[in-house]
Amino acid sequence: MDWFNTPDEPPAVTNAPLLVSELSAIIAGLLDDPRLQDIRVRGEVTNYKHHGRGHRYFSLSEKGGGSTAAVIKCVMWRSDADRLAFTPAEGMEVVVSGSVVVYAPHGAYQMQVRAIEKAGLGEKYLLVEQWKKELSALGLFAAERKRPLPAFPARVGVVTSETGAVIHDIRNVIGRRFPVEIIISPTAVQGEGAHTEIAGAIRRLTGLMDVVIVARGGGSFEDLFPFNHPDVVKAIAACPVPVVSAIGHEVDVTLADLAADVRAPTPSAAAELVVPDRNTLSLQLQELKVQMSSSLFGRVVWAKEEVTGLRDRLRPQRFLRKLDERKTGVADIADRLERGLVTRLERERLLLAEMRTALAGRSPRALLARGYCVAEKDGAVIRGVGAIAPGDRMKIRFYDGSSLVNVERVDHDGNI
Amino acid sequence: MTETYEVKIEQLKKIIEKIEDGTTSLDESMKLYEQGAALVKQCESMLAEAEVKITTLSRDK
Repeated sequence: MDWFNTPDEPPAVTNAPLLVSELSAIIAGLLDDPRLQDIRVRGEVTNYKHHGRGHRYFSLSEKGGGSTAAVIKCVMWRSDADRLAFTPAEGMEVVVSGSVVVYAPHGAYQMQVRAIEKAGLGEKYLLVEQWKKELSALGLFAAERKRPLPAFPARVGVVTSETGAVIHDIRNVIGRRFPVEIIISPTAVQGEGAHTEIAGAIRRLTGLMDVVIVARGGGSFEDLFPFNHPDVVKAIAACPVPVVSAIGHEVDVTLADLAADVRAPTPSAAAELVVPDRNTLSLQLQELKVQMSSSLFGRVVWAKEEVTGLRDRLRPQRFLRKLDERKTGVADIADRLERGLVTRLERERLLLAEMRTALAGRSPRALLARGYCVAEKDGAVIRGVGAIAPGDRMKIRFYDGSSLVNVERVDHDGNI
Repeated sequence: MTETYEVKIEQLKKIIEKIEDGTTSLDESMKLYEQGAALVKQCESMLAEAEVKITTLSRDK
């Protein structure tokens, strides 16, 4: 049934009484208005009660002319109250966030509060927003400003409170991973004037270290507020070495975090970021060692191959080939020599045969065979008739024998 | 001392590069290897012996 948007058509049963719950539902529906939902209301906390179950009940009042001008009852359930960064107190000026609802059992409307901030905090938020715009315009948050962290810092500057868990954590992590020199630049990390101290602590480290950690443990927006201050942001931006920030919890982002070169979620994480892990380094060193050994081994193998190659080239194959060539030459010569000799020998032999034939022609036997005879007396050849006288005995040698003859007469040829 | 660790590692890498480079003689490579082995030892003892040192600055400056 829609009672309100159709006033010209009244409900059919106008006289039937409503149930209280129905009325309450109508009121609840009326209050479901964007102007009453998810709103922020400023006022003074009165009648504050911290219920045993953790719920908070109080009134938000506005005073005017010495008396209360307006008041609204507020309730904050435990689930929301647990997230309160501070304890609200009587008379505190606050800004509450929530929605107006009807609480039917009490027949009352009230503000269901999800968050409370201190009045003035809103101004601080606005201030941070304003600073953020201004500093951003100066380029202090620009991504291109971010510097890489040194791989092997010798000295790590730490800007934080000298007492408390933060410096302890950082010291532990650095000591475990890769012990270096830690230079603590102590500072207050919250409260009035903290921003000046923090900025001074950062500047004091100039020239002393290779990397800086600016750290603070978790806290409320107000606690972390100094880390939003332009003094701190500018000191970080002006720092000559890279800055790692670890301020508050991971969900809290301060302007200092935006200006830092690297933002770490926690102080321990910041410490892990700035120094290498010596176990990892040890491993790398071993790898380098192995690499060096294997490259030397490779070099030796290569040298061996080189030597083998050279030796192969040095082998007397060419020489042998030359020798072969020479050998062939020699063989050729030997051949030719042999052939020459043989020819010569043949010729000699022929000559010899010819000579033998010629000689044979001159032999006395051949003369004898032609019918000549040789006369001998007393073993000597008789060359003329003067050597003989009648009555001598002579030996006549024929080609096939001889005979003894007696000389009867000797005639001299007339013309001798 | 950490700076020199970095320097030593760089030297070591260069030595390895030189050994791997075909133009380095075997003799030279052997010498480089000895140098490298010495560097490895130095780095190892650096990692083993390092101790954290803490200085706190005065706030007065």
